[in-house]
Amino acid sequence: MSAGIDPARDTHATEGTGVPIRFRVYRRKAGDRAGHFDEFALEVAPDTTVLDALVAIRTRLDPTLMLRHSCFHASCGTCGMRVNDAEVMACVTKVLDLGTPRVKVEPIANGALLGDLATDMVDFYARLAAIGRALVRNSEWLPSSELPPGIEAHNRYESCIECGLCLSACPVVATDARYLGPAALAAAERAIGEPRGLDPGFILNLIDDPQGAWRCHAAFECTEACPSEVDPAGAIMALRRRAAGARLRSIIRRRT
Amino acid sequence: MSEQSVSPEPIDPGSSWASRRRRGIAGWGDPRGRRLGGWAFILNRLTGLGVLLYLSFHLVVLSLLARGPSAWDGFVSLAGSPIFLCFDVVLIFGLLFHGLNGIRVTLVGFGLVVDRQRAMLVALMVIGAIALVVAALHIFAAG
Amino acid sequence: MSGSSSAPHVVIVGGGGTGGALAHDLVLRGLRVTLVERGELTSGTTGRHHGLLHCGARYAVKDRESAVECIEENRILRAIAPGSFELNDGLFVAITDEDAAYEPLFFESCLASGIPARRVGRAEALRLEPNLNPELRCAVQVPDGTMDAMRMPLRFFATAKLNGATIKPYTEAVAMTMRAGAGRAVAGVEVLDRASGARYEIGADLVVNAGGPWAEKIAALAGVEVPIQPSPGVLVAVRGRYANMVINRLHASGDGDIVVPQREISVIGTSSWLADDPDHLTVPADHVAKMISEGSAMIPALASAAVRATWSAARPLIGERGATSGRELSRTFKCFDHAPEGVEGFVTISGGKATTLRAMAEAAADVVCAKLGIEAACRTREYVLSPHTAYYA
Repeated sequence: MSAGIDPARDTHATEGTGVPIRFRVYRRKAGDRAGHFDEFALEVAPDTTVLDALVAIRTRLDPTLMLRHSCFHASCGTCGMRVNDAEVMACVTKVLDLGTPRVKVEPIANGALLGDLATDMVDFYARLAAIGRALVRNSEWLPSSELPPGIEAHNRYESCIECGLCLSACPVVATDARYLGPAALAAAERAIGEPRGLDPGFILNLIDDPQGAWRCHAAFECTEACPSEVDPAGAIMALRRRAAGARLRSIIRRRT
Repeated sequence: MSEQSVSPEPIDPGSSWASRRRRGIAGWGDPRGRRLGGWAFILNRLTGLGVLLYLSFHLVVLSLLARGPSAWDGFVSLAGSPIFLCFDVVLIFGLLFHGLNGIRVTLVGFGLVVDRQRAMLVALMVIGAIALVVAALHIFAAG
Repeated sequence: MSGSSSAPHVVIVGGGGTGGALAHDLVLRGLRVTLVERGELTSGTTGRHHGLLHCGARYAVKDRESAVECIEENRILRAIAPGSFELNDGLFVAITDEDAAYEPLFFESCLASGIPARRVGRAEALRLEPNLNPELRCAVQVPDGTMDAMRMPLRFFATAKLNGATIKPYTEAVAMTMRAGAGRAVAGVEVLDRASGARYEIGADLVVNAGGPWAEKIAALAGVEVPIQPSPGVLVAVRGRYANMVINRLHASGDGDIVVPQREISVIGTSSWLADDPDHLTVPADHVAKMISEGSAMIPALASAAVRATWSAARPLIGERGATSGRELSRTFKCFDHAPEGVEGFVTISGGKATTLRAMAEAAADVVCAKLGIEAACRTREYVLSPHTAYYA
């Protein structure tokens, strides 16, 4: 046992704190014609997150509640939800930070449902599939530090955690199923910038399409929603620069 | 790595992401949770449609000229009424918003000012608001 | 690649890293596999750890068996899951004179365990990682890495699925069905499909309990006991990446002695206590404070970094009930065949750590095949895994 430290005094408590919160949680199972909301009452502590509350609801109050979660620190991307109409990662959203005792929880928008709050991510990944996903990139952190022997270049995971919040927030994805979407386009921009075995020319060609980088209407909701500072909208604009430049160059080449 | 297909395949509209839970155009009317850029997106569409409708209306009105002075004079007296002047102000709002936001969308679309686009949007809206007030004052003072 | 319809059918209960790796192993050996998990894959303990690709150095002095296991699996994972790790190596950093006095034993133990280690002087350590505590005495470089705690195991699930395994998340095992007749033999698993509310039975020739800290609850469904105690620990993630390498405290073992960088955050871990119920984990304030104070002993900037998340994860520890310190129990994994206790067709695999998932699966698969009379060699040491995105294809 960690010597002399009391495992009680739970900073993420979901009962016995004297701070009551009403949760309205979206429910819908396979075969239901429409969704509905169930209400649950819990008490929360200062650090209790929306995810803690949902897990407590599932454990104590309603074991039929379906939700996705895994890492509890916004690195796996599975617990994306709409909480009081905003796209957030439930595991890093403290209930009391929402500033209201009434909390509405819905699954991310523009996706198909496995059930309740759990989204089927099949089409998210279908969009990514054409681009390819290298996952690891060169790290730009601490460029002044020396490389240890045996390490050729500092590397890190790409920031995108595949949470789908950007697709949920995008007004174009909401109305057009064929749009490639911010996540895949941001992945394309990263892949062209650092190919790591992928073919940048092929990817640029892929996104230079009415349903690719040109479909965006600059709402920038994706960049605002992203929990990982991916800036998909910025990436889309960068892709347009690349695509336009490539076209110009090919026109000039044809002339000379 | 991933399979490399020859041409980009559109996402099948019938497949699971596309169907069932897309917020759709009905989502445009929902103000909850929307951020500044989302409002700009929706208003750009609404003002675009609005200005287009106005253009049609304007052409119809101009055709009244062909029908002689009495038809035209009838319209001019209507055009001075307070309700009509309000519509004029709404029209000017639409033109200003669409034009100014259009500047932002054009610049951003060329990859310019992308990292400060939110600030630019706010600045353009402030300019637009001032212009709208000035225009409204002119319209109601003259009419 | 999937087994013919006459091949035995194994049902794995538990969708963590071990379950996924076992599904992968068994499918390659030609068996039919169904895996059930009550929530999202890796939503138990597997997804919650700090993401360390362990090189075993932490165990080199006191638990040689674990250390050797770790470095071997570290090498295997790098080969079978390429592109799934941040590979920047790690540093064990001596902050105090006491730490420095421990260094020679630590360094020799690493080498004796087959862990490549290199002594690093103070000046060089600060050049490699400028944010380290300048009071440090010396350091040792080891082949640590960072893994994505969900996506790396997901590659096992993806590969198993592509090779014919049936993976069923949101499917909770609620009872074991016993074969009618003499003796007690598990004939299948009764499950509840959370998506539809339907209850149905999945027939099995053998059921494997891969429930991690929930293994006791699942074993109870079959009427057996396993000596597994949930041992939670607190982790703290702060915004900002203060090191490229994994930073460890060069001492025997203690709370908050590791800082694992991932993406643009740093995860400080961990502590330990013993709990009864893995579904009720607390996040004690004192432990959170301890993580930050211990972490900032190695990287001072952590003390003022913005906290992104604090959470607990329960290790499944094997040992006798009543032990007062979770940390002193053996870290080796174990496979329990419950036939000697009178229940046939039921096997439990538990213990271990995230880095050894493939080895745990190999051991479990060997037991499973022996029980089913299948002669098939393990192929998972060399079989390169599909990317995690393939799971959703």
